[in-house]
Amino acid sequence: MAGRLEGRKALVVGAAGAGNMGQVIARRFAAEGARVAVAGRNRAILDALADEIGGVAIECDFSKRASIFAMVDAARASLDGLDIAVNATGWGLLKPFLETTEEEIDKIYALQLRGPFQFLQALIPAMEEKGGSIIQISSATATILFHDHDAYMATKAGTDHLVRSVANQFGEKGIRVNSISPGVTETPMTADAAAVPGVMAAFVKGYPLGRYGTSEDIAAGCVWLASDECFMTGQNLQVNGGLTLRANPSKADIEASVVAAMAAA
Amino acid sequence: MGRLDGKVAIILGASDPRSMGAATARRFVAEGADLVLAARRKDAVADVAGPLGATAVACDITDENDLAALAKMAVDTYGKLDIAINYAGIEGGAPIIETTADMFRQQADVHFVGTGLFIKQMALAMKDGGSIITASSLTVLVQAPGQGAYAGSKGGADVLVKVAANELGARGIRVNSIAPGFTKSAMTDAYFAMEAVTRAFLKEMPLGRFPTVDDIADCALWLASDEAFVTGQRIDVTAGQALRRTPRMDEFA
Repeated sequence: MAGRLEGRKALVVGAAGAGNMGQVIARRFAAEGARVAVAGRNRAILDALADEIGGVAIECDFSKRASIFAMVDAARASLDGLDIAVNATGWGLLKPFLETTEEEIDKIYALQLRGPFQFLQALIPAMEEKGGSIIQISSATATILFHDHDAYMATKAGTDHLVRSVANQFGEKGIRVNSISPGVTETPMTADAAAVPGVMAAFVKGYPLGRYGTSEDIAAGCVWLASDECFMTGQNLQVNGGLTLRANPSKADIEASVVAAMAAA
Repeated sequence: MGRLDGKVAIILGASDPRSMGAATARRFVAEGADLVLAARRKDAVADVAGPLGATAVACDITDENDLAALAKMAVDTYGKLDIAINYAGIEGGAPIIETTADMFRQQADVHFVGTGLFIKQMALAMKDGGSIITASSLTVLVQAPGQGAYAGSKGGADVLVKVAANELGARGIRVNSIAPGFTKSAMTDAYFAMEAVTRAFLKEMPLGRFPTVDDIADCALWLASDEAFVTGQRIDVTAGQALRRTPRMDEFA
């Protein structure tokens, strides 16, 4: 049976961490028949993934404009076109609002707002002849709240609005632009927190469907957004089991859950 | 292998081959689902169901007994119910100052009360989780003049969707809505015959073409499949029109 992305050419940036969301998305795209370029900062990990899925590895520092534009050019050249682009880069900064430093704000702005802005600037010319689907990984926290996550949440929410604006302007070129919002997910970004007993358990009650999501759930959402079956643009898709209908745990909830888990151990 | 192999689905609002319901039925059958199709007019829905090998049932969404019987038909015929989709709707355009109490009530009866009872009866019949999908509307998103009663009742139903999703997640049931844009279907054929209307609408669609019933069917397939870890959401299939606006009546001249 033909895959749902047969013959498509896709770029996934943020795929240079073993087992991260970008890697899961890239593997799923390849399994659906797409030719995939994977990008990020760690060459060795990218090469291994590219070998595994028959794709292409491209180094990119998403906080540098020239690197972003060079990545898009390289992807288009090596894949002989570009139909799909996913930005799965991110920095899960957890820092109390009053303690967040200027350096941290600048760094997360560069990665999570300026980078996506420039990625879109690079992608529109690369896709405007044939059209395409651009997918930004956002976060449920761009809509609902989480403690000590202000800089992260603000830049994600800003990017979601950028997605609307760019979708509105370039839809006529056949380019769809959407974002997809996971809730808490077990990925390398959350591995340190997840290693503490009780932390992940504190999140579960916020999920009407009774579990938090996986990178595979997000990859499945990306396949739909990327395929011709999706006639949607300028939207923020919540793929998080209904989390936004409830809430993330408070800091006190998490601490209590950790205490309970320690006591039970 | 189909994406809905082994699934049993109900689609309400499939009395016309040009409808979203019929398009979704064709897509679902192609993906391997067993189907019960329903509409108020039994003879009309039977004509759509026949060639697809689907079961046809008469059902008025405003009658809770009809909805319970519809769910029971799926379970009796195919052993279970996994997916239930509601496209039942009626037109009801009028400016607010000309809308009578009866007009408000008729819209609320079909779109709000009907959707609530649909979710209730379908959820009661789903014993092993499932996916419930109901039709919202572009009019909910763009403050469409002349569509107050229609949009208000559809918007109310979207809130029901969110509350139902929050409640029914524990049963493994996902509840979502689809907001179609100005889609060429059985219900909108008359509007599509007026070029001034289609021209005014097309101008407000970033993607540059009208949504089709097949686009809606594709979206329903995704929401229906086990792949969508999504609940309590309204999925926009408006060609991006919700980013802009809806034309006013005076622009149709």
